[in-house]
Amino acid sequence: MPAETCIMGLFKDEDQAARVIEEMAAAGFSFRRAHSPIPSHRILGALKLKKGRVGWFTLAGGIIGFLSGFALAIFTAVQWNLIVSGKPIVSLIPFFIAGFEFTILFSVFGNVIGMLVCARLPDYRGLEIHDPRCSGEHFGVLAACEAGREGELMDFFRKKGGEAKVFA
Amino acid sequence: MTDLTCAQIDRTVLNTLERPRPRYWVFVALLFCGVLLGAGAWTYQIFVGIGVGGQNIPVAWGTYLINFVFWVGIAHSGTLISAILHLFRAGWRNPIARAAETMTVFAVCCAGLFPFIHLGRVWQVYFMLPIPNQRLLWPNFLSPLMFDVVAISTYLTVSSLFWYTGLLPDLAVVRDRSTGLRHKIFRLLSLGWTGAHHHWLNYSRGYLFFAALATPLVISVHSVVSWDFALGVVPGWHTTIFAPYFVAGAIHSGLAMVLTLMIPLRRIFRYDAIITVNVLENVAKTMILTGLIVGLAYGTEYFIAWYSHNAVEWESFRWRAMGEYAYGLYFMIMCNVLIPSLFLIKAVRRSVPWLFVISLAVNFGMWWERFVIIVGGVAHDYPPHAWGLYAPRLVEYCIMVGSFSLFFFLFLLFCKHLPSVSMTEMKETAPHAG
Repeated sequence: MPAETCIMGLFKDEDQAARVIEEMAAAGFSFRRAHSPIPSHRILGALKLKKGRVGWFTLAGGIIGFLSGFALAIFTAVQWNLIVSGKPIVSLIPFFIAGFEFTILFSVFGNVIGMLVCARLPDYRGLEIHDPRCSGEHFGVLAACEAGREGELMDFFRKKGGEAKVFA
Repeated sequence: MTDLTCAQIDRTVLNTLERPRPRYWVFVALLFCGVLLGAGAWTYQIFVGIGVGGQNIPVAWGTYLINFVFWVGIAHSGTLISAILHLFRAGWRNPIARAAETMTVFAVCCAGLFPFIHLGRVWQVYFMLPIPNQRLLWPNFLSPLMFDVVAISTYLTVSSLFWYTGLLPDLAVVRDRSTGLRHKIFRLLSLGWTGAHHHWLNYSRGYLFFAALATPLVISVHSVVSWDFALGVVPGWHTTIFAPYFVAGAIHSGLAMVLTLMIPLRRIFRYDAIITVNVLENVAKTMILTGLIVGLAYGTEYFIAWYSHNAVEWESFRWRAMGEYAYGLYFMIMCNVLIPSLFLIKAVRRSVPWLFVISLAVNFGMWWERFVIIVGGVAHDYPPHAWGLYAPRLVEYCIMVGSFSLFFFLFLLFCKHLPSVSMTEMKETAPHAG
């Protein structure tokens, strides 16, 4: 496999960054990542990505929570079969509250796990190919090119109105 | 939509994290003394017994429960602003969402302390956890007090995770503009966030689900708190209106606390261009709505007490207006309904001093609302020979001072060490080109 160099184009406008992404493949460069200070729908649209899979983790958490909330309330009730105020030992209506709260709690746990897994966080090694300006007001497009085509890629970014930064 | 550029937003917020002046540490030290006072009073109560407070039969729930409900209420507007207004795409919430979420987390922490304080024998708190105790008894999930344990601990966990998730991109901003120890700490806390497209794709999705989950949660939590009372057959408590009444009241008091915190924050940190008068005015407009709902609930309670022809219920409400604690009822009507209705006047809701004074009045009134409900219910219930009065004692006052000090102490530490305005959400409304 030929050696590759990663170069980031830094743009002050998200539309410029999105156009670069759209035209990159035609120019013969491979797209690696886009960095932005805000969630940019323009960039995500240019990448033609499907929706994230976080929701499946959330749903799984919710189902586990709903069942475990009810199960916990029923389990604790049947450990001491004492009828209080004529209410049944297993009273589904009050137990729904434990079921509901556990549904929310475990959905949130699933949501957080899903976000971390799908976004591949924590990722401290990713900081090696990160420009601090991308958390401020710049939009970064990271692309790779074969050795010897670095100049072409830098020119491509500059022609599109950006600034080029080479990562070793 | 803000007129500031992304760079100006970063600069304004990051300037607040500069080394604080000595005056800041004086305030921190004073508040810490307040926390120590509360902790000392609680320690004294643990050694001597719960009897050092004023709670006794018939009023067994005094300031500890009043403060518990008060702080849970304060916690509500943070989630309203961050979750519900996020779902409605209300852009004006962006400058105040972070501070409101932080307020939520700290208020739930303060609220969560009071059941422990009220327990007396705090070392037996594990009786409330779903584990068997030494008699192999388990908690009874038929009890509204157990609903509360589950709801409040869920709310604390969810609001803390929601707060931290929202902070993540901003922690990366601080990391990228700091050096030395601060850089190392923020590098660790930001989990290697770089704002890469796959980060944003999953973050936006996850944040939306967070908001969608927090919305029913916030409504359920104060409903559950209201059922601590409504499921008891006490006149003045046993009513189906309590859940929406408590939720509206909670949001009302929480919005007032948002104004109480935001107005000094705006002045001290020179946030005028970020937390604009329009933002404060929108909070005031929301308070008109919540104030009217609260006023309607007050009126409905009286109407139903009269309409029911229930002599005990009607006596309870007659006494509420004409008995020993009548001043509490008039405080709450005045401060929660009549004074906030001044916000109907545009000049009042756009005047920062007026906003601040009215927010303080609502905080005061909402505390008294809880006093009237909690103490008033049991002080004057069924048999006249069992009626009785209650007054807080010194230990309770010290613990109350401690809880307020703890809240403001934590908030003061937060303001100078973490971004108090969400830079990312502000940038979303900023002009992006250069």
